[in-house]
Amino acid sequence: MENRSHTINQTLPKLIAIHIASEVLSDLLNNEIDLSIFKLVESKEAQFTLLKKNSRLWVQFPDGDFCDYPYYIKNISRILENAKNKEKRIIESDDLFNSIIKSTETLQKKIFSNASMSPGKNIKDFWDEVIKKVTNISHNSHSLKGLVEKILELPFLQQFQSSLIILHLKGQTKAEMMGVMWRSEKITGLIEVKDFNSFFNTIKKSKIKSFATDDFLKLNIPFNGSFLAKEITSKKYSLVAIVSRHDFLNYSDQEIELFETCIDLLQPHFERLIDQEFSDKKISELRMCLKEFPLPVRVKDTQSGASFVNDLFKNELQDQDIFFNKKIMGSYGIDLYDSDELRHYAFDLFHFQRISLLGELLNTLRHELSNPLFGLKLSSQIFCTLPVSNDDKELMREIEKNIDRCQSIIENFSNLYQTETDLRPIKIKKIIEESLVLAKSEIREVSKKINYSENCDEILLNVPLIFVVQIMFNLIINAAQAMRGRTERAELIISIAQNEGFVNITVQDNGPGIATDEINNLFKPFFTTKSQGTGLGLVLSRNLALKMGGNLEYCTEIKERGACFRLKLPLP
Amino acid sequence: MKNILIIEDEILIQQSLKKLLERKGNQVAVSASGKIAIDMILKGDFDRIICDLMLQDISGFDVIEESKKRYSLEEIGKKFVIMTAYNSPQVLSRANSYNCKLLNKPFDNLDEAIRLMTE
Repeated sequence: MENRSHTINQTLPKLIAIHIASEVLSDLLNNEIDLSIFKLVESKEAQFTLLKKNSRLWVQFPDGDFCDYPYYIKNISRILENAKNKEKRIIESDDLFNSIIKSTETLQKKIFSNASMSPGKNIKDFWDEVIKKVTNISHNSHSLKGLVEKILELPFLQQFQSSLIILHLKGQTKAEMMGVMWRSEKITGLIEVKDFNSFFNTIKKSKIKSFATDDFLKLNIPFNGSFLAKEITSKKYSLVAIVSRHDFLNYSDQEIELFETCIDLLQPHFERLIDQEFSDKKISELRMCLKEFPLPVRVKDTQSGASFVNDLFKNELQDQDIFFNKKIMGSYGIDLYDSDELRHYAFDLFHFQRISLLGELLNTLRHELSNPLFGLKLSSQIFCTLPVSNDDKELMREIEKNIDRCQSIIENFSNLYQTETDLRPIKIKKIIEESLVLAKSEIREVSKKINYSENCDEILLNVPLIFVVQIMFNLIINAAQAMRGRTERAELIISIAQNEGFVNITVQDNGPGIATDEINNLFKPFFTTKSQGTGLGLVLSRNLALKMGGNLEYCTEIKERGACFRLKLPLP
Repeated sequence: MKNILIIEDEILIQQSLKKLLERKGNQVAVSASGKIAIDMILKGDFDRIICDLMLQDISGFDVIEESKKRYSLEEIGKKFVIMTAYNSPQVLSRANSYNCKLLNKPFDNLDEAIRLMTE
């Protein structure tokens, strides 16, 4: 074995370290590119083999030592990438090997040219130290912000005054800036996605990784001067890490390489902390949902054991006597809080998951259907312009009309699930029409009678259309289901009337009606007479009505036929 | 007369646009696959490339990126017309970065759309 003394010159050939850009690396590892072509790349100083081991790329030296110091040699990754793109496989090429050797030689020279970086130590010790320090700060950081601040504590970044990151969680409309300047002053800010994207791409494409704040005025970085930046990207987020000395001097190659290495080493820790903050955010969102949720509820987080309640739960717990046993809730697969002394309200979390999932599905469906529908429309339009008989043209127009109808139905459906509530003044007729279109398949065989009041067209309501349509849809579906399988002809009567500052919309069917002793339970959660019902439709509908300043009630005064519900909506 | 390439995997849309553009006296080539389209772009000589973003094999942006091998960014901005049914802010901002025209599907106005593709 070669004598590994402490003199730098002698250790030189052993300390070639290669770190391939991760995207290239994963290709190399996944695509089973034959690495044996890299074997015995020889130069006068170095002899090494590239190996795959533990899903990393290692460098093996003739004496059997492994070396895995993460060192980002841009040239090498670029060469590999180019070669890969050109040939699909990396082919044996003298040029390629020569370039690799040259890169590694340059790298060694760079490292050794600056003695101050490793006074009195050899390179291996120096890099060991770097890794140790970086690991140290990352283990002592419990928040993303904390880690960003601690970057400045690294002994080899002592000259730097600011450290910040700009983080974009995929799907968000804004990127977030966080960090410190002058080593203590906090930096925060939000950045538009498009500005972040262009910044990110500039950083990604740049070979120097050194920039000036003046070039990115839109980001509002709160200091002036040149800075170093490095980008990280993963499935969930894109991130740019930035450090600056607050001056206008250029950065040395050593500084750039050290910074990049540190960020590379920190990447898994960024990932861990971002994940952690994601889950914190999830909990705060859960709290917000609970706050808005119309029923008293208590949810237990199975992982942490923590349980969350909303105000309604706190206030109404004692008054309620509806109890759902574990068996029912177990069948939903939800671990709801349960204790011996208390009887709890529980609710079907899955129902809400289903609804939000339905929203997503509808959105997908809308996009998936839009394209073929558009194709059909275009082609029927073309046929219309051909010299065909008027009958045929008429047929084509009919097809076109139907296509438009499909398009508007699917759009209406997905609009129902939009989160924003649209507050344009709406006409009552529109509400009724939209609800009937949505419920069309359920009321196909039902005769519909709509009694509009005289001045109906003049009334404009200031309520969210989707709320009202959702309530109406619910009432109509309930009515239609109640009338199903009856011998007499099913009849749905919708009447509109005005009364003391309210518009009353009544929905009446001629089904079996509701038994007197059941009327009191109608608006209680989980009360249902249907085998497939959730018992939530009317509860949620009434809640929406109350939210709009109206109400939903059962009309006890109409006794002669079927069931009748009255939706009261406030006049503006 | 213009030499136009339509990259669109929805055959009805593809063929309809082809017919419409041909009627206006243009020469039209089509591809449903992004990868084949790239080949056509690199070998052919098109005045206009009308490209859907959601293709089966690769995305329309990939096609544009590959076209950089042959065309400058300025040329790309002039040649490409992007068609999309998804107009999220991310898509819009990326499309704008190429500086090319953008058409939302379904077209609000067919004549307008055809004019934009040929002018």
